[in-house]
Amino acid sequence: MEYTKQNDVENGVYDMPEGAPSFPALLTVSPSPHQKTRIHVPRMMIDVLIALLPAYVFGVVWFGLRALLVGVVSVVACIISELVFEKILRRPVTVMDGSAAVTGLLLAMNVPVTIPIPYLVIADIFAIVVVKCLFGGLGKNIVNPALAARVFLFVSFPSAMASFARPAGFLSADAVTGATPLAAIKEAGSIEGIDLLNLLLGKTGGCIGEVSAVLLLLGGLYLLCRRVISWQIPVAYLGTVALIALVFPRANGGLAMVPIELLSGGLMLGALFMATDYATSPVTSVGRLIYGVLCGLVTMFIRYFGAYPEGVSFAILIANLFVYYLDRYTKPTLFGGKKKLLGGGKKL
Amino acid sequence: MKQTFRGGVRLNEHKNTDHCMTVRLPSPKRVYIPLSQHIGAPCTPLVKPGDHVLRGQLIGEVGTGLGAPVHASISGTVVELRTRHNALGTVVTDVVIDNDFLDTPAETMHPASTPPETWTSEKIIAAVRDAGIAGMGGASFPTHAKMTSALGKVDTLLINCAECEPYITANHRLLLEDPMTVLRGTRLLVRALGLSSGTFVIEDNKQNAIDLLRILCDASFPELKVAAVRTKYPQGDERQLIYAVTKRELPSGKLPADIGCVVFNPATAAAAYRAVTGGMPLIARIVTVDGDCVKEPKNLLVPIGTPFRDLVDACGGLIKEPKSLISGGPMMGAAQWNPDEPVTKGTNAILVLSADATKPYAGEHECIRCGRCVGACPMHLMPNYIAAYTKRGDYESAKEYGAMNCVECGSCSYICPADVPIVQYVRRAKNALRQKKA
Repeated sequence: MEYTKQNDVENGVYDMPEGAPSFPALLTVSPSPHQKTRIHVPRMMIDVLIALLPAYVFGVVWFGLRALLVGVVSVVACIISELVFEKILRRPVTVMDGSAAVTGLLLAMNVPVTIPIPYLVIADIFAIVVVKCLFGGLGKNIVNPALAARVFLFVSFPSAMASFARPAGFLSADAVTGATPLAAIKEAGSIEGIDLLNLLLGKTGGCIGEVSAVLLLLGGLYLLCRRVISWQIPVAYLGTVALIALVFPRANGGLAMVPIELLSGGLMLGALFMATDYATSPVTSVGRLIYGVLCGLVTMFIRYFGAYPEGVSFAILIANLFVYYLDRYTKPTLFGGKKKLLGGGKKL
Repeated sequence: MKQTFRGGVRLNEHKNTDHCMTVRLPSPKRVYIPLSQHIGAPCTPLVKPGDHVLRGQLIGEVGTGLGAPVHASISGTVVELRTRHNALGTVVTDVVIDNDFLDTPAETMHPASTPPETWTSEKIIAAVRDAGIAGMGGASFPTHAKMTSALGKVDTLLINCAECEPYITANHRLLLEDPMTVLRGTRLLVRALGLSSGTFVIEDNKQNAIDLLRILCDASFPELKVAAVRTKYPQGDERQLIYAVTKRELPSGKLPADIGCVVFNPATAAAAYRAVTGGMPLIARIVTVDGDCVKEPKNLLVPIGTPFRDLVDACGGLIKEPKSLISGGPMMGAAQWNPDEPVTKGTNAILVLSADATKPYAGEHECIRCGRCVGACPMHLMPNYIAAYTKRGDYESAKEYGAMNCVECGSCSYICPADVPIVQYVRRAKNALRQKKA
């Protein structure tokens, strides 16, 4: 369009085709910003489910079809208890955000395959109703629902939670002892009979979803690439565990204790999927690093000195309680500000 | 490694018009020139209905205090002085001029009698003031006032070509189509402020502009440099721009001059050059017209005061049912209720967006504490805590978390997966705190 003279306007350069949309008399006014990312809470929860799936499928293949039953029951029980709770209290129904399904699957992956179904359902209800909904729902809970429910099972039904006998699965390759590697180390005080490759692949005893370290790592990598989780918590957590195992190896394991500590028990599942739970972890980078280190320290303390062979659940639950203070005392330095703002603000 | 800042978000750029030659808008039948287009006091009208005005004639003058004069952008007859509410709810007076389509220039527009190289700083600043030049990036701070406050205080002059908002390409096109005017204008500003160098700061999504300016600087403007910065929102925010290039942090409540920096828009530099060499007041500017409702997105050179509707019509009209009309970019621009709102000196873009393209605040979820807003905040605040405290009416705690330092760039609201309108909560806290103080 070149510079126009009077006749251009008179001849109507603005002629519009018939029936073209036109401006309404008044337009919608809204505050900026006027556009938004397409990433939403349900999408992130679906990503977590996708990331958990390989390790869970391995659990089903390794432990047998009952693992599938445990998973389905747990997910359904969690969704139904959230739905019923919200219906009774006439609150907005939030099951579609997918967090109940994530809690259900995580809990299923955190129990032995032999868990009696009624116990599991009670734990699901405890996780959703007591730990999550009574505190105000997703984002308001203080501790991780799946982990709290797991510890609830631990103290309520200790024998059911400690029997790792493996029912006949699809794969009956190597014979597996009933005891988990960590329990064996604790009892025998040696790493006799522990095969590193089996630990990595998951051909070992344990809870349904915690055994396959390599598939959990794969899922964690997926979450990192999708930016659902940030690197600080897993790296600080796993790094602390590795460092302690390196400097103070137990059970005369020497250097081999580093991979053994990292690959056994619920550490991978905990560090990648449970400690990184948004609601119960800090929001600042520094806070996340400290939180990861704290998780690692408590985990190793329990593994070395505790009555239980395994410390991940307790470690994360204990660290959960510090999150509010970690946020408060790791406030980022204001842009253009000289000193850090410490503390401040009433308790939320 | 490209220079950048900490925080911010990557946006879908939608730079649909970065290859479109700027076209001149057919002269509008009628213009509505607001007497209040800048930060500072509104102008006093110098014309009354029935007067005949010439293109470039002074029609509004400021008294004492901050402000800039306004000029007629076309020649014609003053119809009325219209008072109305603008999109922000402020009362503004417009001088309504009917076009006589003769474009008779005012006598004040003539080439300078002495070469500007011989001019003193004061003379250059006075010429910039008389031309009514105000920052053309959106905030519209009167340029002569910025120059006066910077004189003798600054050591670094930056030209902000970041253009970090999606859709907008007005400055990008200006750099490609008329780089010499921008470069000469920058040379003039550098000289007027008694400096020895100036730096163009350009986001790396405009590689052709970076290359072109580098070649021209090397050839004939040895005192000017080009710095490429990483494409990230809000890189064009003065604070982040200064930080990316000089690593100086601008404290809250301070002006760039306080830390030795001064920042101009390239269009402002070009306007200053035209004002000094030709007595040309700021009466036209380049506006990007885009959005999914616009048939042919374009960059248009338009007289100040042209109604938005004329710009959209010149782009082939609408192809979808419009939901909102935004003056400026989609991140910080203001939604307009009136499609006949006029173009001002700070209007860099007009976006017509459908319901699909704008973000509807359909359902606010509870904050899930993912911490994305904390990572995105370029001011290093914790927006989630500020929003949570504001929601509870605890503005004092919100203040302790730095609510008053917020620059309202909207990165937190953009990135929030739970749809919490975080920046709106922060604005509420800021307003409540300001009222309490007053």
